[in-house]
Amino acid sequence: MNRLRKIVTSFLLMLLVFSSCTEKQDFDQRYSVEIRPTVEASILYVEAPERIVNLVTGASFFTQDFNFDGFSSTIFSDRVIEGTITYIVENTTSKELEITVEFLDEGNNVLDTEVFSIQPAPTEIVQREIAYGDNGRSIDIIKNSSGIRVSALNLGDNTSTSSLPDPKITLKSSGKFRVRLR
Amino acid sequence: MKKAFLLIIILYGFGIRMFSQNKQLLYDFSEIPQSLIVNPGVEADFNWYAGVPLLSGISLQVGSSGVSANDIFADDGLDINDKIRDRAVFGMNPRDELSGTYQIELLNIGFRGADPDLFYSMGIYHEGDAIGYWFQDYAILAFEGNADRLNQEFDLGHLKARGEAMNVFHFGVNKRVNNRTTAGARVKLYSSIFDFNSTRNKGVFVTTEGQNNIFASTLEADMRLRTSGFNELKEAEEDGSIAGTFIKRGFFGGNLGLGVDLGFTYHLNEQTIVTASLLDLGFIYHTNDVKSYTLAGGATIEGVEVILPDALTDPNRDFWQDLVDEVEEFVPFEDDTKRYISFRPTKLNASVRYNFGEELPSRVDCDCSTVVRGGNLRKKYVNGAGAQLYMINRPRGPQVALSAFYLRRLGNVAAIKATYTVDKFSATNVGLGLNLQAGPVNLYVMADNLLAYRNIAATRYASFQLGLNIISWGRK
Repeated sequence: MNRLRKIVTSFLLMLLVFSSCTEKQDFDQRYSVEIRPTVEASILYVEAPERIVNLVTGASFFTQDFNFDGFSSTIFSDRVIEGTITYIVENTTSKELEITVEFLDEGNNVLDTEVFSIQPAPTEIVQREIAYGDNGRSIDIIKNSSGIRVSALNLGDNTSTSSLPDPKITLKSSGKFRVRLR
Repeated sequence: MKKAFLLIIILYGFGIRMFSQNKQLLYDFSEIPQSLIVNPGVEADFNWYAGVPLLSGISLQVGSSGVSANDIFADDGLDINDKIRDRAVFGMNPRDELSGTYQIELLNIGFRGADPDLFYSMGIYHEGDAIGYWFQDYAILAFEGNADRLNQEFDLGHLKARGEAMNVFHFGVNKRVNNRTTAGARVKLYSSIFDFNSTRNKGVFVTTEGQNNIFASTLEADMRLRTSGFNELKEAEEDGSIAGTFIKRGFFGGNLGLGVDLGFTYHLNEQTIVTASLLDLGFIYHTNDVKSYTLAGGATIEGVEVILPDALTDPNRDFWQDLVDEVEEFVPFEDDTKRYISFRPTKLNASVRYNFGEELPSRVDCDCSTVVRGGNLRKKYVNGAGAQLYMINRPRGPQVALSAFYLRRLGNVAAIKATYTVDKFSATNVGLGLNLQAGPVNLYVMADNLLAYRNIAATRYASFQLGLNIISWGRK
């Protein structure tokens, strides 16, 4: 019986020795957890061949409003913190062109405007980055945008044709935004 | 609240296959009736036993192969976001898992038949468990996003999770085949309360340079989540009848399945024994309250694309909605109520044991010494030592644990088993199990990974088992 008592006591002592210690934990740190990924994707691509540009001169040969609910959807607008929109405009036509991009709210009011004047070919690609948030324009522009208006103006003639293959004007754009998931 | 938060972290942080506990301390501990549950072919010398309802077998296990609570929540002055990023998001890999299981015996009885070589056992136990592998690429997307990660493929297959709760009704037969061999089998009827599994996901999300626009975003997905029981439980929660519904589904009101356990003990010689068992070779057929979700298909988008002059043909065209519709058409998110089968995670146990030291007197009061009612009983020795193997099939392949053990018997009233186990959770897992026999009352308690208890928050594996039984070895 004494032997049994010793064994049981030893067993319990071993459990006690091994157990009941822990380093100090601070579970309140969970309140400081931030999940803020930066996401990027293309937004809008517009392409017009030179024969469309040549339809008019001195006036807009193209104006269109595009519904774009990506920004105003609550899953995005409630979470976006800051970001950048990148535009790349390339003109391989033979005339000077002016491209205007406007962000519109639900009432078609213009929230932001970006104008690109681009010389005839051969020309360099125009790339511009517009920041929104603390270090740029108001992020509310992005949050409230539900449409994009693109206008294109032919500032040259309507008869010449570029010698480059497949002459056209293209507008590329992408967005890179930091969003708050937590 | 802290525990609840930890549980949420556990369930949320891991995408969650059923996982049953490695019971290396209980395995082949033949003094304990519950050893029949982990090997129906164990050498049982009881005349009869009865587990105390709800107390005869309680076990709990939690394991994390990648990160511990201490790694994240230690009060060390470091920014928790840096710790999460360094130790979890990028510190773990998709083979790391977090799993947990619990088992509570509701009823367990056993008795020797008219043929003394046959021992029957039966009962009901409740079991719940879940496993989730670390969905690393999802975590990178969530914490870092896809920006500046051109051409990096995010693997949607990193989501592998499974969980369930059920009642198991079982009946086992243990037969002394001859003086060398004891074999056993147990049939099981599973009554599933709920089940979820999402273990065969494939696909990628990748951002590449666009053909027209700056970036192309590509989603290729073949994903499925299958569930059963959740809708009924959710409705019951709203009605305030969750407990009743849980019990009803556990007693044949949910989904049913069948399984079998097999096992044997074989004496290589007087003192050397090999054993093995195959547990939960079975399935559950889910027909009741089934809901499955799929995301399958592929699409590449480069934003809204307006190419003149085609775009001018319909001035009212909604390019954004067209884009959304296109993605939904090519990568449809659908649900259905099709029946499905889930296989139980089959476990394999095996051991080799060498008995030595003094022989123990028989518990049986008869003049036959090592003979019980006609069946030849092997001698029991004070010491036993050996090695055990445990394997379980998992969504990412079999998982193995190796244990060395030493068993010390103190007369017929107590026995201690110590184990040292190496598995993916720990290379320093020392466990202790104590079995006490006070007259007919049997009590056992076991705990694992005791070295880690020096800083319990830093442990990546914790497990305990306890139980209370009444045992008889025959008339005194």
